Amino acid sequence: MALFRRALVALGLAGLIAAVLRLRGSGGTPPQHGGWRELSGSDLS
Amino acid sequence: MRALVIGAGAVGARAIRQLVESPEVDEVLVVDDDPVRQAAIVETSGPKASAGTEHAAADAVLLATPCGMHGALAAHHVGEGRSVVSTSDSIEDVRALLDLDAEARARKRSVVAGASFSPGYSCVLARHAVARFDTVSEVHVARSGTGGPACARQHHTALTGQALDWREGGWQRRAAGSGRELCWFPDPIGGADCYRAELPDALLLVPAFPGVERVTARLAATRRDRLSAHLPMLRKPHPEGLVGAVRVEVRGWRQGRSDVIVLGALDRPAVAAGATAALALRWAASGRWPVGAAGLGVVPEPVRFLTELVEVGIKAAMFEGGA
Repeated sequence: MALFRRALVALGLAGLIAAVLRLRGSGGTPPQHGGWRELSGSDLS
Repeated sequence: MRALVIGAGAVGARAIRQLVESPEVDEVLVVDDDPVRQAAIVETSGPKASAGTEHAAADAVLLATPCGMHGALAAHHVGEGRSVVSTSDSIEDVRALLDLDAEARARKRSVVAGASFSPGYSCVLARHAVARFDTVSEVHVARSGTGGPACARQHHTALTGQALDWREGGWQRRAAGSGRELCWFPDPIGGADCYRAELPDALLLVPAFPGVERVTARLAATRRDRLSAHLPMLRKPHPEGLVGAVRVEVRGWRQGRSDVIVLGALDRPAVAAGATAALALRWAASGRWPVGAAGLGVVPEPVRFLTELVEVGIKAAMFEGGA
């Protein structure tokens, strides 16, 4: 029984830590279109 | 020109390579705590390179040692009338270097702080982007990846402590490791979660762009990085990190409309940092850099600086598109 309770506490703590790590910060949305292109010519003038 | 390079790790070795290949550099004095590494770098860098000492005379000095010693070394060399370039990305080192402003001005010498990939190259990108705006309101910097072992240790440390942001005309301290934001770096890195960290970017960018309202800096990190940041490093860092990237987002007004420019670069951080530091050293030694102490955000000719870096393979990119 004690082992079962410890396992439950460990799982709960792990879940809590994961939730805090997951939820802190706003995250973001990946860009839906476009991309990177090298600077050249008129970009470097 | 005689250059003194103190620290021959991943970044210092790359800077030495750039310097010995430059026609305007006649001699490069190499200093490192590790005599074996010092001898190896001198031997493989050609006839211009020779072993030196920390306080040797030179036209300009590049500090590429691990963070923590740059302030004292820079103070000595500025006192001797030498321009100094530092690759440190520690807030304490950068503060100590910026404090040398009055002495550097009095001696008509330059102290270039944070001459690395980020800060450093990222500051030049910011300057380049800012030139496209009538008014700049925000500069946000993010970086991914590490150079050598010293850089990896600094990355580990930066995820604890206090991040320093500039918001609405004042400094704001926030917990490092907080503020998760998905930042999109040049391919193949792509999207990475970035967090506030104890980085000196805002200290260097705010004076370079008077009137800017917000300046922030973030570091790409995994959840394991964040969890283990408060512990000693669990294993020895790699001799050199893999490919890294920087991303600079500048927001402001141009032609009466609000706009955003996102610039970035992808490279091995130590290679890009070494090339940036070596070029800054050459400019500072030849009087092409403003006197006083500042970061690379005050670079007088950003296009020329970027073009000279393109010649050694360090290329910038622009993000075009949107959410």
